[in-house]
Amino acid sequence: MAALVLPAGLLVALLLVAPMLLLFRISLNEYSPTEMMREATTAANYLRAVGDPYYRSVLLTTLTVALGSTLLTLGLGFPTAYWLARMESRWKSFATIVVMFPLLVGNVVRAAGWLALLGNGGAINASLLGLGLISAPLPLIYNTGAVVVGIVAVVLPYMVLTLSAVIESIPRNVEEAASNLGAPSWTVFRRVVLPLALPGVAAGSVLVFVLCMNTYASAVLLGGPRFKMMAPAVYDQFVRGNNWPFGAALAFILLTITLVLTVLGSAALGRRYRRPKEELS
Amino acid sequence: MGSLVLEALAKRYGTSVAVERVDLEVRQGEMVALLGPSGCGKTTTLRMVAGFVAPSAGRVLIGGADVTQMPPHARDTGMVFQSYALFPHMTVAANVAFGLEMRRVGRAERDTRVREALRLVRLDGLEDRLPRQLSGGQQQRVALARALVVNPAVFLLDEPLSNLDAKLRGEVRMEIRALQQRLGLTTLIVTHDQEEALTMADRLVVMERGRVRQVGTAEELYESPADPFVAGFVGQCNLVEGALEGTGVFRAASGALLACAATPPPPGRHVLALRPERIEVTPAADGPARLRAVTYLGPLTEYHLDLDGTPLLAIRPTPTAGEPSRLMSAGDAVTLSWDASAARLLSAAQPGQT
Repeated sequence: MAALVLPAGLLVALLLVAPMLLLFRISLNEYSPTEMMREATTAANYLRAVGDPYYRSVLLTTLTVALGSTLLTLGLGFPTAYWLARMESRWKSFATIVVMFPLLVGNVVRAAGWLALLGNGGAINASLLGLGLISAPLPLIYNTGAVVVGIVAVVLPYMVLTLSAVIESIPRNVEEAASNLGAPSWTVFRRVVLPLALPGVAAGSVLVFVLCMNTYASAVLLGGPRFKMMAPAVYDQFVRGNNWPFGAALAFILLTITLVLTVLGSAALGRRYRRPKEELS
Repeated sequence: MGSLVLEALAKRYGTSVAVERVDLEVRQGEMVALLGPSGCGKTTTLRMVAGFVAPSAGRVLIGGADVTQMPPHARDTGMVFQSYALFPHMTVAANVAFGLEMRRVGRAERDTRVREALRLVRLDGLEDRLPRQLSGGQQQRVALARALVVNPAVFLLDEPLSNLDAKLRGEVRMEIRALQQRLGLTTLIVTHDQEEALTMADRLVVMERGRVRQVGTAEELYESPADPFVAGFVGQCNLVEGALEGTGVFRAASGALLACAATPPPPGRHVLALRPERIEVTPAADGPARLRAVTYLGPLTEYHLDLDGTPLLAIRPTPTAGEPSRLMSAGDAVTLSWDASAARLLSAAQPGQT
């Protein structure tokens, strides 16, 4: 068995673990404007990232946007996933393709589409201006709201597909049993469907949260020049600032926070799921 | 508690008819079985009573009140599902308590009633288990307790025994029947197993292709079936096509002559229905019938016979060692006899008959 997983294990080590270790090593180096980077073992980059109010606000924005987008995606995704999972007609495979369709369009192309729709000269503002309903373009773009809309549009399919797979595994007659015993639909959802779908909610939210934390294209194109999230900030350090050690430190902070939050989040949901007595309430 | 009345209940999906028309009254405390082959509309009928399927026409009355337009949760029915449909994330006690919670029964009374219900189905001590930690038979009893604990006006059972092994099925059948009678539950049970229906229900409704073929007690259905479908579905039956030749004489399509009841025949074409246990088989070298196969079933023996080209089945108590009929074997010539009144004439070829 060990011999069988060895090749795959080596590949993972080579492609995933090695670059990470390298990145971590870089994050401990010193930045030098002349030599780019000097060998060192210092925590200075991490201390700067944590201490600098600018990067603290970038991190806070990232967390807020990621959390908000995840919750919004969950709220929009659950009904869609339920509808998809309980669909019986021959349209089901068609509906599944429609849900997956956004995945076929790249992030940048999609963000460009949002620009064309929401921008100052975009379809909405141009129409409203043309109709004389407004005298100046509405600020539909270059704000947090636009970024969240852009992100949710990207990650929604992941949530819907993850959830609908789990909801499909909940026998429909369990819901029927609950309503037969006197539970109105909302209670059936709260007491039966939701608790049984919790593993899906956890998996979908973790997946979506990780994607949101690492948003790049939507943040840059829809957030505008003054809106900053972590991924673009890392990019700026590597490419524009040529400060690899600091960029690596930012990347590691992003990675660690994402990891810790997803582990905590799924553990919390998992515990709830495994404690059936709570349902007696 | 109350009676259940179905009035001209029908369900159509587009052009296909699931239930054409069902009229039925289940009296207070009575157990009625909907019996029929798969696709006959029995499950759809039950689901219309529970409210999971909206009827295309007709009415459902529970305790005299029209509930046709009510959602499932507002109808006072307790249903046991074929696959039990227990809540997998709740303990046995929480499963049973669910319906009481929905009815806002106080915690103390709830606990008492859950304990009683579990004692009733002999599951006391398993309150804190999860459904997946129980055997199939135990899960089935949790499902029973969950439906019974709320004292539903109508108790609905959807093929409740089909997921149990044969030995358990017999036990649970008796248990359900005993509970139903003790609690005086108005019960509708759906089954495709005629033995289940015959042993449990006060009355049976034989359905086929969305229609009610006959309603009656087990004895009525068995002894005086209304048509060949009922005769063939409830118990085994020889159904011989042919024509009435004269009073008490029936000529089979193959040409064989059979004695039949002298009662005035129903109009139209006829089928002769003769129960296999009514045919007596005697060895006789010059007998008109031939024995094609003998199947030993322990207490009973099956004789597959051929009477001038008409296949017949006879089932007799296995003869004791000394009897001459014990020695009969395939190929022997035999004489067949039956009480003419046992061979009933039924009207043949109703629309939709199989």
